[in-house]
Amino acid sequence: MSEKANTSLIMSDAASRNQRIANLLGRAFLFLITSLSTFAVFFIFYFILKDAIPFFKLEGFKEFFTTARWYPSGSPAEFGALPIFLGTGLVTLGAILVAVPLGIAASVCLSDLLPFHIRQIVKPVIEILAAIPSVAYGFFALVVFAPLLQNHGGAILSAGVWIVLGPILALIVVVSGDLTLDKLRGKISPKAGAAIVFPILGTLAIALLYSLSSRLSGVEISSGTNALNVSIILGIMALPTVVSVSEDALQAAGRELREGSYALGATRAETIIKTIIPASISGILAAVILGVMRAIGETMVVWMASGNAARIPEPIYNVLQPIRTLTATIAGDMGEADHVTGSSRFHVLFAMAFCLLAFSFIMNLASEIIVKRSRKKLGK
Amino acid sequence: MRLETRKLLDKAFSGLGLIAIAVMGIALLLILTPIVWRGSKAFVFKGTIEHRRVMLEQFDRGNPDKFTREYTEITAARAPIYKMMEDFEAETIAQISSMESQMDAKKDRAKELKTAARALKSDGKADEADQLEAEEDRLKDEAKELKSRIKEFKTARTEPYDALHEAIRELLGPMPGQRTPVLLRQQYGQTRWDRTLVKLHEVLYTEEWDYSNADAMGVLVETPRVKQFKGTRLEPFFQYLEEHIEEMMRPKTTFYWQFITDKSKDSHIFGGIWPEVLGTIYLTLGAMIFAIPMGVIAAIYLCEYAKEGRVISFLRICISTLAGVPSIVFGLFGLAFFLNTIQVSDSKSVLAGSLTLSLLVLPTIIRSSEEAILAVPRAYKEAALGLGAGRWHTVMTVILPAALPGILTGIVISMGRAAGETAPIIFTAAVSVGAPLKIWETLSQPTPALPWNIYNLCTEHEAVDEIRHVQYGMVFTLVAIVLLLNLFAILMRARISKKLRG
Repeated sequence: MSEKANTSLIMSDAASRNQRIANLLGRAFLFLITSLSTFAVFFIFYFILKDAIPFFKLEGFKEFFTTARWYPSGSPAEFGALPIFLGTGLVTLGAILVAVPLGIAASVCLSDLLPFHIRQIVKPVIEILAAIPSVAYGFFALVVFAPLLQNHGGAILSAGVWIVLGPILALIVVVSGDLTLDKLRGKISPKAGAAIVFPILGTLAIALLYSLSSRLSGVEISSGTNALNVSIILGIMALPTVVSVSEDALQAAGRELREGSYALGATRAETIIKTIIPASISGILAAVILGVMRAIGETMVVWMASGNAARIPEPIYNVLQPIRTLTATIAGDMGEADHVTGSSRFHVLFAMAFCLLAFSFIMNLASEIIVKRSRKKLGK
Repeated sequence: MRLETRKLLDKAFSGLGLIAIAVMGIALLLILTPIVWRGSKAFVFKGTIEHRRVMLEQFDRGNPDKFTREYTEITAARAPIYKMMEDFEAETIAQISSMESQMDAKKDRAKELKTAARALKSDGKADEADQLEAEEDRLKDEAKELKSRIKEFKTARTEPYDALHEAIRELLGPMPGQRTPVLLRQQYGQTRWDRTLVKLHEVLYTEEWDYSNADAMGVLVETPRVKQFKGTRLEPFFQYLEEHIEEMMRPKTTFYWQFITDKSKDSHIFGGIWPEVLGTIYLTLGAMIFAIPMGVIAAIYLCEYAKEGRVISFLRICISTLAGVPSIVFGLFGLAFFLNTIQVSDSKSVLAGSLTLSLLVLPTIIRSSEEAILAVPRAYKEAALGLGAGRWHTVMTVILPAALPGILTGIVISMGRAAGETAPIIFTAAVSVGAPLKIWETLSQPTPALPWNIYNLCTEHEAVDEIRHVQYGMVFTLVAIVLLLNLFAILMRARISKKLRG
């Protein structure tokens, strides 16, 4: 090859340097844009904290976290946010009770039971549930569900008992009946034993259900906007998150585990309960955490349909009473507090926002760590 | 455990899973059905003559000649009830004045007796004077009694009549010859047939809550209003009204698609939701203007340039933290930062709201773009690099075009999210009442927006029950926008996965 051809192919030093610099500048620019989202996180923490600190300076921590009198506009103003924290906790717990069992059952069904083409139909249902704006859920809770609860509360509660406990009790009857039959084997014939044991257990279960539902059907709900309403709606809202994340986790457990379990003679249910769920428990935990975050951070539904009463329910687990949450307090009180920017009434809302922020940050970090660890464990 | 039981349990387990899926589907149906069904009634409903009047007078829509013809017929149909009311008023006035003249006559007679008695007394006829005075006292008492009876009669007549008058005005609009009320909502009767029937019921029956049983909740007691007007000229009024209401209102199936594009009149009592729809569009597009470049560039950097290390994993933690921040906190941040600190505008504005929303959807866009870029086959990239293209050149000409459908899917989904979020715009962009904004006004003006106005109308509006259809219509519109965007995304993703599968 001649010298001339060589030089025309290789860039001159200057051109090469220029290109390197341009390349570096470009990368720096890209990095800067990317880190904007990082800045955003810091800015959020900084600006929320900046307006939250004056509150703690003015009023201290003790009243805010431990007393139950919330009268921010009284004189002297009282900032006992305990009922609000409890209200948040109550609806979140309720939402989790709705979303987690349903969500895990649905995700198991999606990942292991349903054939591919049905899954293709169910997935959009979940996506639509996730996509419906929160204000539409809130509207449903306030305008449709609350009057229903108020007018037919007892009937709805007792129907709920049948729907929720019915299948579970049926399962328990079958299992316990079978176990007793197993013990009685050899003493009486299996057929006669079955004829005795199952009717007895069945009647017991139905009697239990009946007494529970008849007791509940007498309940009158004085206000449809209460913790129960909000919990159910929040549970439905958190459902898509729980389902999709835990389904990913179940899928990630892999084919080999399942086939190994089948090869040992386990049925599908046993495979899932004894092998797959334990193997993907961390992913499921992450799903639950994300569900909690969705429920805690939700504003519109609780603002519209929780009743917004800053009282501790009596007794504390009474979900039929109105409650108030952190998010709803921020959304509702800011309008009034805004006129007096700088007062403790204004800053207390930032203090609440900071509590929310800190909590969701910790939860998020926890779920990150859990997912990372589970990936390591599964060798991916 | 026996094998049969294990098999049964297996089936039961599958059953539980299927129940969970079914519950999810049913929940979705239960939530969407009322929204779609009643929401569509904001668009398609039986509109009365009053609706056509509003359309003609407020929106300049419809055929004036045809309307005038119809309206004359309706005025004729309504005339008898107004006549009855007039008769009743006249009758009442006549009855009162006759009672008053009776009273006056008695008073006059009493006065005469008094003077006569005084004359007799001065004449020294004390006995006769006493008699006259006794007579006078009796008359005075009778006059007093009459006075109180008149008072009773007045309240017994005018109070129910005023209530009836008000109810009729709400049903049919102002009486002929009455001065035009100032409030727009009082200038027209019921525009919708369903509301007409509700109001008709309110005319026909009076409602009272009975709390006599302290243990139970109050019971609604309805009594026919006709009882209050027994034996008066208004007795046949109620039957006539009930039988002829259709002729008075002329319900006609109306397709009011302009509900989306009409301005609202008198805070949503009449008209449509255009300011809200436009505000939502502004906010969504505004959020996208900021979020798309930032999100896509971040995704390119994370996928193509970054080497996994401390800095990058820190970046990723920050992004997922951003995704986990509650939406109301974004709202507070937008207030504290964009409005109070760097002051992008003097008051709430679409700009501030868009910036806040863009931060909210940023993580979604980054993640979905990353996924789309990672899904581009390695061979594409290697081929481009092998042909001598630089990295940036490869990204711009090979990877981005290939990943574009996936990136678009993510963008469309986050548009749906931005359109439906309420909490971040409460403090930064939303107002309850406002005109549609011009595009340059978005930099400095707040706007009404669908999510915020849904909240506002169903909790803070003074006539919550009257405008249910508007609320449902708004929710329906918002849900339709969001679901259409999502449907688009789902279809696009199906196409991509088909393409990738070959």
